[in-house]
Amino acid sequence: MAASAAVALRRFLPVMPGVAPSMSPPRLLSLRLPPPWSRRAGSDAAARYDVVVIGGGHAGTEAAAAAARGGARTLLVTHKIDTIGQMSCNPSFGGIGKGHLMREVDALDGLCARLCDRSGVHYKMLNRRKGPAVWGLRAQVDRKLYKENMQKEILNTPFLTVHEGSVEDLLLKEPESEHPGKCQVSGVLLGDGSKVHAGSVILTTGTFLRGMVLIGLEKHPAGRLGDQSSTGLAQTLEKLGFAVGRLKTGTPPRLAKDTIDFSILARQWADSHPVPFSFLSETVWIKPEDQLSCYLTYTNPKVEKIIHDNLYLNNHVKETTKGPRYCPSLESKVLRFPNRIHQLWLEPEGLDSNIIYPQGMSMTLPPELQEQVITCIQGLEKAKMVQPGYGVQYDFLDPRQLTASLESRLVQRLFFAGQINGTTGYEEAAAQVRCCTAAKLVLRLLSHIQALRILPGQAVNALRSCNHFDVWQGIIAGINACLRVCGKPPFTISRTEGYIGVLIDDLTTLGTSEPYRMFTSRVEFRAFLRPDNADSRLTPRGFEETGCVSRQRYERTSQIKAAIEEGVAVLKSLQLPPSKWSSLIPEIVISSSRSSPVRAFDILQYPEVNMELLARIFPESLGKLAEWRELAERLKIEVVYKLCTSNQQQEMEEVRRDEALRLPENLDYFTINASLSQEMREKLDSNRPQTIGAVSRIPGITPAAILNLLRFVKTNRQRTGGIKVPFRTGRSLPERNTDVLGKSEFQSSNLSRAF
Amino acid sequence: MRAGSCGSLLRWLAKRSYGCAQQRDTVFAVSSGHGKCGVAVIRTSGPASATALRRLTGRDELPRPRAVALRRIRDPGSAEPLDRGLVVWFPGPHSFTGEDCAELHVHGGPAVVSGVLQALGRLPGLRPAEPGEFTKRAFQNGKLDLTEAEGLGDLIHAETEAQRRQALRQMEGELGQLYQRWSQELTQALAYIEAFIDFSEDDNVEEDVLTRVDTAVAQLDRELRGHLQDGRRGERLRGGVHVVIAGPPNAGKSSLLNLLCQRPAAIVSPVPGTTRDVVETTLNVGGYPVVLSDTAGLRDARDPVEQEGVSRARDRLQQADLVLAVLDAAELAPQPGRLAGALQAVLPPSPPPRPCLLVLNKADLLAEQSRGALQQACAGDTLPPACLLSCMTREGTATLLRLLGGQLQHICGDPLVGSPSLTQTRHRLHLTSCLDALGRYHRGRAGDLVLAAEELRLARRHLGRITGQVGAEDILDIVFRDFCIGKKAVFKGTRSTTGLGWSLLGAPGEEPSLPQYRAAQSIGVTVGRPRVQPLGPSGKAEGPAREAQVHGMYMGMSGGGEGHLCSRVWTRLVNPVLG
Repeated sequence: MAASAAVALRRFLPVMPGVAPSMSPPRLLSLRLPPPWSRRAGSDAAARYDVVVIGGGHAGTEAAAAAARGGARTLLVTHKIDTIGQMSCNPSFGGIGKGHLMREVDALDGLCARLCDRSGVHYKMLNRRKGPAVWGLRAQVDRKLYKENMQKEILNTPFLTVHEGSVEDLLLKEPESEHPGKCQVSGVLLGDGSKVHAGSVILTTGTFLRGMVLIGLEKHPAGRLGDQSSTGLAQTLEKLGFAVGRLKTGTPPRLAKDTIDFSILARQWADSHPVPFSFLSETVWIKPEDQLSCYLTYTNPKVEKIIHDNLYLNNHVKETTKGPRYCPSLESKVLRFPNRIHQLWLEPEGLDSNIIYPQGMSMTLPPELQEQVITCIQGLEKAKMVQPGYGVQYDFLDPRQLTASLESRLVQRLFFAGQINGTTGYEEAAAQVRCCTAAKLVLRLLSHIQALRILPGQAVNALRSCNHFDVWQGIIAGINACLRVCGKPPFTISRTEGYIGVLIDDLTTLGTSEPYRMFTSRVEFRAFLRPDNADSRLTPRGFEETGCVSRQRYERTSQIKAAIEEGVAVLKSLQLPPSKWSSLIPEIVISSSRSSPVRAFDILQYPEVNMELLARIFPESLGKLAEWRELAERLKIEVVYKLCTSNQQQEMEEVRRDEALRLPENLDYFTINASLSQEMREKLDSNRPQTIGAVSRIPGITPAAILNLLRFVKTNRQRTGGIKVPFRTGRSLPERNTDVLGKSEFQSSNLSRAF
Repeated sequence: MRAGSCGSLLRWLAKRSYGCAQQRDTVFAVSSGHGKCGVAVIRTSGPASATALRRLTGRDELPRPRAVALRRIRDPGSAEPLDRGLVVWFPGPHSFTGEDCAELHVHGGPAVVSGVLQALGRLPGLRPAEPGEFTKRAFQNGKLDLTEAEGLGDLIHAETEAQRRQALRQMEGELGQLYQRWSQELTQALAYIEAFIDFSEDDNVEEDVLTRVDTAVAQLDRELRGHLQDGRRGERLRGGVHVVIAGPPNAGKSSLLNLLCQRPAAIVSPVPGTTRDVVETTLNVGGYPVVLSDTAGLRDARDPVEQEGVSRARDRLQQADLVLAVLDAAELAPQPGRLAGALQAVLPPSPPPRPCLLVLNKADLLAEQSRGALQQACAGDTLPPACLLSCMTREGTATLLRLLGGQLQHICGDPLVGSPSLTQTRHRLHLTSCLDALGRYHRGRAGDLVLAAEELRLARRHLGRITGQVGAEDILDIVFRDFCIGKKAVFKGTRSTTGLGWSLLGAPGEEPSLPQYRAAQSIGVTVGRPRVQPLGPSGKAEGPAREAQVHGMYMGMSGGGEGHLCSRVWTRLVNPVLG
């Protein structure tokens, strides 16, 4: 098994559809037909895949595609092939911080960025005036188009097989001794009773959701409870001891487009030069002038009064379950910031869709009152509510139970993506509910939710954010599931390398008590981790370490990376005296005290200067560089941040050093011989940080505790072999295991220098 | 199964010991001063403290926590009574170190103290504390932050009254609080700017938050600047004010040094140019610590050795906090107008202008009328405060000391008034970097907001480093450099040149250098002059070395051979004596 996987996973070049190599497993032509192996269900020869992905939401599709790109024979099991690629509540992708993630997923050859370039109807770069490091590319996406494109993509990925059905249970076996964990997953049991063996399994379904839909005072269970086919899986996970937390979120009512008076509202035009998400796209698919617009309206005191007067009818808002601080419901905005007006964005759902998504209006009042609220808002006086807003509470898997590669600590080879950060997938069903009376509507809604067996990975963030947290989770889980099968080291991204790294570290170290939203301020090295250089940061690593990046993309990245380096060198070599610069570019003020020549590199840092301007001064050396528009723009950005990023090198080195100080996964914080207070020990035990760097980010851990732990790690490193690190009890780790961990965990070239 | 129950037992044990790992040593040391005294306090810290207290008092029950109890103290081995004294029991975490602590207040005679220490040392799990270990444990258990720990270190090392007041203020966390307040303000400003970057497009974050950030940063800029422009008074108070005696040859500079330190520290002769090297000594003037340097007379010397001496004198003048300009009164008396010119030749040429005292020596040689003329010449505003002095007759000493005290107070400030002062160069370094970053923020605001925000982050990082709220490696560096290992660094430096111990002790009659002074201070030897001498030819210490032996003995016992210096002192000084 391992040998065949290794063969399949040899440095893998993208295989174009139709030219799949002979070792590729048979792909299904008609997906409605049962796959060939399922006919043999029950026989001894159970089907065998490298990676099985359960769930076809955003996380599932991205994970399955990533694993397949890496060369793993992958099976995607989803309840309904039709729902693959269905957009969640919010018909948008990207935003501030989230645009960065999209770029990084694209740098690893993920799907969503390329698909957005083929399905957007409104592209807008946010934060234009705040510096390129925080530009946030965002797009309103046509739901129908996106879904079509996604299905086309998934169904044409080599090595990827899609199976429509349910998963009944996990197949478990004895754990591998060299990794922590209670047991090891070896495959899945399908709803039809057949078994599929797998090298690793990625779970992206909301088995644990215990979802609860709330409208007014009504509460209805939703999600997968009572879903016969998944109770086995749910029970297995519960039995294994996975910890869950509970979160809440909400979604706004939907409005009929033709009943809104847009003429009196502020119109937000899309960019006249839409910037594509993907490094591979030259342009987006839509003509700039064909793009749709968004509109802006505001709340008013009347809205506030209705909400205040009817608080008693609002269970969701009153309850203590943690909701998002960042994208709060209209009710909590009104309660928290009274006497202020709040923005409401009216967003289109597609080119030929009559539905408008009122961003910022998420609420859980009884539907009649929601209609009242809507009609007292400017422009919406006659608006028809197509579907009411509602709140959702749900369980999520505590992400601290996962390693940075998203493999669970409890069960070896079991990866999670999707619900772990508290994303639910109720939106899917909700979007399809047609307008009807309130009471019926709730019933319809619930039946939809249950009937469609909501998949997680269809996110929640009710603000103008989007669900591609699942996408990155998916891509990382997919890559690592694939690497795990062929016994390669996991692919993790450090906080110094990408937003994905920050996100995973935050979630797996700190956990989350509210739906996690990416901000640029969470990122220490924002000036370096920019959307424009995501490819040069991640593509080479993805290509060399995982094989999930195509050679075409790799070569393109290498080419532009080399061109930028060369460009910087040329800019540094071109020098003129300050007086000469002043006469050539009168707009800039060069300090008069300088007498030595000034480099073109320094001049490009001025906001008024760009490559075109410099090319006019040095046509021979810079003419070619300036003509390549992408290169010219990237050079300008690179130069502006160069000083800051080189100053940060030392700080980044420190972070890397801290991250290189790995803590053994099974360390028993209650018994180690380090001076730590009980409180610290409990915190460390529940967070299970993987590195000293992660320890330092756990809130409430004192510098002294970090120091003592650091000393403990270092002492043990020095006495490797001589000392036995106490490990968590209750796990039958073989004796030699402790030694292996004691040694291997501290092996790092960085360490020898650090000590 | 067995492993499981064993683990839970361990965990239970760990919980019982307040989370301090059960294998952690218990340390003990004399915490009161060294030498014969009325009462000596012996302290233990660590999980075995309770056992130690039980064994030494011979009773099973412990005294009420944090209350004084009178107990007979016995040797647990022989049950022989050692003393009768007060014992206090501090169960963790409510103790100085955060661990279980016990204190034994016994009579201060060396025999009693060493008896109790030996008894403690024989108990299982107990060992003598390393220097600074109690503070280190307090820091490690989160009882002190870095500035507080530094303050405590200074408090222990404080030799003068003013130093003590400053250290106490710092230990109580005032300095830390100040830095923390700034850090909080900066954090808030940063939060505003971050909110503007991350939310302004979607949510209602008003444009005016940026104005608020600018105002806050400008305010902080002013406060930091003010704090930094305190004339280094905190650091001076901590490290000693550098007072340099300068003047033309044969004006009586070395005599003045000998007069002030009341012993013949420097060689004095009527031959001009006797002093070649810089001679340094430490003093306590009116509660302020002073590092006093005598320098070679300033003239165009021909002799290469003297030339080097003059060049060293000028170097030392550059570093002076206060200059004592010594001029020959008898020589100037006929032409008082030459005073200003003579003084100018002595003062350091480059800015900033340093505070100065004009000392007109050899007043005993003056006739009454020329004395009046000189005093008149000095009375004007153009010259620094002056006094007439005779090193020979000691006339004018009181005036000089009064003037000197006034200047010192001016330089160091009153440590109890105003905001707490900077006490460490480390603090100054980070504050300056912080201020630089704030300046760059103002300059960068018009351009890229991300770069401006980056500067605020950097500024906050520098503030955080002072109180130890930053990344793990940083804290480790700081702690090892400035806190407990700082002392070792000094030791290493000394040892690498001449071999430890001996270089610390120095030759008879030679003043210890500043590192030697500090090193000696850190092992508890009070220095001001060489009280420690190398062993005589007989292998026994002679003369003033006695005092050092006593210190050495205690250090040896409490240090337990830990740290290079203590063990050396032990073997070289104490062993032969005891032997």
